[in-house]
This record gives sequence, structure tokens and C-alpha cells, in this order.
Amino acid sequence: MSERRFAGLTLLPGAAWLLLLFLVPLGITLAISFGETDELGNALYAWHPENYDRVFDPLFVPVLLRSVGYAAATVVLCVLIGYPIAYYIARFGGRYKYLLVALVVLPFLVNYLIRVYAWTAILSDGGILNGILADLSLTDSGGVRFLNTPWAVIGGLVYGYLAFMILPIYAALDRMDPTLIEAGKDLYGTRWQTFRYVTWPATFQGVLAGSVLVFLPTVGDFVSAQLLGGPDTYMVGNLIQQQFFEANNFPFGAALTTVMMAFLLIFMVFYLRSAGRAAQEARA
Amino acid sequence: MNEIDLERLLARRFSRRDALRAGGGLALGATLSACGLGGGSDNDKSETTRAIEPKIDGDLVYFNWAQYLNPKLFAGFEKKYGVQVRQSNFDSMPAMMAKLRSGNRYDLIFPSAEFAHKLILANQLLEIPHERLTAVDDVYPFFDDPWYDAGSAHTVPYSLYLTGLGYRSDHIDSMTGSWRDLTNPQAEGRSYILDDFQEGIGMANMVNGYDLNATDPEELETSKDYLIDLKPDLRGFTSDTITNMSNGNAWIQHLWNGDVINIRYRVDDPDSVKFQQNEEGVPVGSDVFAIPVNAEHPGTALLFIDYLLEHSAQNATWTGYPMPTFSSEKPYADLVRNEPELQISVDDLEGGQQFADLEGEDREAWDRVWTEVKAA
Repeated sequence: MSERRFAGLTLLPGAAWLLLLFLVPLGITLAISFGETDELGNALYAWHPENYDRVFDPLFVPVLLRSVGYAAATVVLCVLIGYPIAYYIARFGGRYKYLLVALVVLPFLVNYLIRVYAWTAILSDGGILNGILADLSLTDSGGVRFLNTPWAVIGGLVYGYLAFMILPIYAALDRMDPTLIEAGKDLYGTRWQTFRYVTWPATFQGVLAGSVLVFLPTVGDFVSAQLLGGPDTYMVGNLIQQQFFEANNFPFGAALTTVMMAFLLIFMVFYLRSAGRAAQEARA
Repeated sequence: MNEIDLERLLARRFSRRDALRAGGGLALGATLSACGLGGGSDNDKSETTRAIEPKIDGDLVYFNWAQYLNPKLFAGFEKKYGVQVRQSNFDSMPAMMAKLRSGNRYDLIFPSAEFAHKLILANQLLEIPHERLTAVDDVYPFFDDPWYDAGSAHTVPYSLYLTGLGYRSDHIDSMTGSWRDLTNPQAEGRSYILDDFQEGIGMANMVNGYDLNATDPEELETSKDYLIDLKPDLRGFTSDTITNMSNGNAWIQHLWNGDVINIRYRVDDPDSVKFQQNEEGVPVGSDVFAIPVNAEHPGTALLFIDYLLEHSAQNATWTGYPMPTFSSEKPYADLVRNEPELQISVDDLEGGQQFADLEGEDREAWDRVWTEVKAA
């Protein structure tokens, strides 16, 4: 078997996967977005480009901005929390390094939905956290309102997606030559300067990769806002989910999905270009 | 909250997970429906007349609201017939429809009257041989020929409900008997309305003095604005009212009457959980047992319906919702004896305001209003 033939074969599983589980559903979503529904809500093929008019209803602009805002806040918090964790594991983990990485991944063995639901029990007015606060006499009766706030939603998102930030940063730190840090110190850099001019630039691609991995799923998330949010925390994911499961409107849901994917593609392209440039610089 | 409560809460979510997890199956559901594999509405009437016998033909695949059937009866049925009841739950009628649409096969579902009507019109429900049910004489004759199912051919009535406001009397002593109590300042922002397009819009229609099922564009617009203006006073939309009131999140909660009973079983001070019917109007309705046309074990489903009717008293006093049987009348009446506001009878159904089966543009208009209310 020629090398080229072998290379082609290794592509097969991935190509089949993409075709069956990505391109075909995507095509159907696109087709439904122009369709209509019957009395039971079944999607039927038809030609209604006007389904897209409603997507650009100004009513939905705040929903989109809110989703992007929550996702951006989640990314920032994930960097602030995730970077030190990754740093500790990569630099000081020693022989527990892999155990610590495993611990970061461990929560993923439990379904995201159930983990977020557990937070409703922790954060509710009569919940565990308020129980502790009351026992410490820090609050009066009724408790602190954690639940049904934007903070709870963002907290749920950070909790849900933090590992996606930690792992790429950890990989970048692990790859980085530790002697670079020593060199920075030898050049009379303070700890901060060494981090700012040596470690951070060397691991920035990891941060960027983590940011994309966190941003993309959070901007479309509906679980956190559904379970931890209030009436003013409605996200694009909730809007889409509502069209499919409540409003009986597959076509509008599919149109929203299509526009949303096009929008996210912009971020993806930005990331790929940046990563491509960095790879080029590394080779140079 | 103690550990047991947490466990119970988590267990509840396990049971509700299906409805929500379905979000992940969007693409697949879309695929099936788009390919016309979801059953579609082009079923032939002949498919609904498949003969079914009340005998065990496999485990029961059961699909219902959570906390809407006495769990002891699952155990009892499993023991008596040596089968399993495989449960899953929905958290709204449209969510139930979505699961049916994407080709899931259930043996027994519990739609509301108006959604049963929709399913019957689309030939989605099997005819039920009432004469083969041993407990059928116990059912009120009122349901021999209900508006949603001519001759009761495809359904057996399950329970009656009405909608109002639940509240915590240990925090709130100034309820006025109006839907407008949702903005009662004593609730300190702890008010929730049902995450349900029918109940939400229906309530707004009633507050504005319109018919419960109003579809006039101007009236719907006013009701939409009412709901949007209400949002800043609300803490959320939820149909998980039992959890929400028992864990202290809600001091005023838009809910169905029976849930009040169920909440009382879960809180330290049951007497503080009260219910009020509202002067602007009280939606009333009924839910039914139904067997989808693609059920794999309709015989077991039939036996389960019979078992439930036989044990209707035990069920009604657990769920808090009256069942339409003579034998459950007295035990249920004893349960709610000093609280006329919790009670509902078939007479109330007769003269009351029930949700209609909205079709076509009317249904679209309601869905659009609800989407805009949620997004605004």
C-alpha cells in the first residue's frame, strides 16, 4: 500500500463522522429553516425565506448581546481561575501532576445538567449555602438571593466549562521549557515581570485555545440560564430551545441556529488565523 | 436543608432530565422529523383501531409529569404483574409533544384534554376498549362523551385541576384574591409564574378581562404587554413548583391546586402553604390516560390504567389532584375538607374556563407572544 493510499485511509473514519454527524444534520437544519410545520409541530419542507426575517427582530438583540456578555464574562473568569490552577499543576504538581489533571476532568463523569441542578439545591433560599450563612448568623431570615440572578447563571457556566480552559493552558505550560523562567529571573526580572514577558507570551496560545473552547459552548448554553436564571437572564440557547420544545416552531429554531452558527464562525476564523500566525512565528 | 432533601431534589431532576436532555438530541430529532420518520400527522385512522387486550405484553414505558402519580402504585403494579415500569417525565405539554414527534415510543402518556384532542385529530392515539376495564364503572359518567374525545373512544380521564396562586402565609398576610397579588411587596421579589405558555397567557387574558382563550390580536398584544410589565416583579418562570415552594425560593407561586398538597408533605410547617383562587378567573381542566398508536406494550398499559382506577383514592390523596372516580371522592374530600379553594368537581369543569385546543394561526400567535414575553 502506498503512503498516500494509507494516508487516505486514516482520513476515512473522521470524514465519515463529519459527514454523517455534522454535515447531514447541518443540511437538514438548513432545510428546516426554510420549512413549515403541521398541527403536531412536525417540520415539513417548504420554501419560506421569510423565516429569517424574524431572526433579525430587534426584540432579540438584547438576548444576543446578553449571551455574548455572559460568555465573555465566563471566559474572563475561567482564565482568572483556570490559569493559576493550570500553573500550579504544571509547575508544582510533581508526581501528583496526572492525578490533579484527572481531578480537573472528574466532574465531567457526571452529566452537566445534573451538576447544574445540584447548584439549585446549594444556592436556593432554603439551600445548603444559605443554611451555612444562617448558622454563622451572617444573614437574616429568608436568606441571600443567589438563585435566579445573572451571577448564578455566569457561575454555572464557569463551573460547567472551567476544565476546557484549564486543560489547554496546562498543556501549554507543560510544554514550555522551565529554564525560560530561570533565564527571566537571571536577567533580574521580578516574578511579575518574568510572568508578564516570558510565561504569559509562551502560553498565550493555550489561553486563546481555552477561550475559544469555553466561549463557543457557553454562548449557546441554555441549561445554566434555565435552571439558575431569572426572568431577565434569557440567552440565545434558551430562545432556540424554546422554539424546538415549547413553541412548536422548528423552522424558526433552525433559522436562529443557522444565523448563530454563522456568527460563531466569525470567532472561529479569528482564532484559526491567530493560531496559524503563531505557528508560523514559532517555525521562523 | 438536610441531605435527604438534596437527594430527593437530585432524584427529581434525574426524572426530569429526559425532557431537558432532549436539547442535546435536537439534531437527531430534527433529522427524524424532517425525514418524515416522526410519525407525522398523516397516520391512517385504521392504525388507531388496533385491538388491544388487557394482558401483560412487556414492561410499561411510562411518560408523565414528575410527581404526578403515587410512587407506591408503581411498586404495587410491578409486584402484582412481575413487570417493570420504565419512567420518564416531561415538564410541559409542548415538551411531551416534541418527544412524541421525534419518534419516541411510549405505552402510556398523560396529556391534558386539549392536547389529547390534538393527538386524536391526528390519529395518534389508540382506541381504548373501556368495556375491558374492570374499574370503568367507577368513573364519572360525565366523561362518557367529553368535548375532546367523542364517546371517550381514545382516553380515560385521569384527574381534574384548577390553577391559582400558592403562597406562604408565614411571610404574606395581605393576599387580595387577585392575580395581581403576584406583585405583592411582601413577597420581596419571590414570585414565580408557571413556565407554561397556556397558563401564562391565559392568566394575562383573565387579568385583562378577556376570554381565557382569547386570540384577538389586539387583546393578545395587551396581554403580552401585561406579562412583560410583570417580569421585573417576578423572580422566574418555573413549572417545578413543588421543589420551588418547598425549598423556600417562592413565597408566591402560580401553580396547579394539587401541588399545594404535595408541597405540604415536604415542608416543616405545612399549614403555612396556602392556595387562592383569583377573582379575575380560574382556569380549570382535566388530564387523561392515553396510549399512543406506536405503543409496544398497550396491553400492559391497559392493565396499568385499570390498576390506577382501582387505587384512585390512594393516588388522589398523594398527588393532591382529585381523580374522576366515585371511590376516591370521599378520601379526597376529607383531605381538603376545610379548603374549598383547593376543590374542583366536574360541575366546575362544566361551567368553568378550560383551555381550548388552539390550531393553526391561533396557536402560532400564542407561541409568538410567549417567545416575546420570555425574550423581552
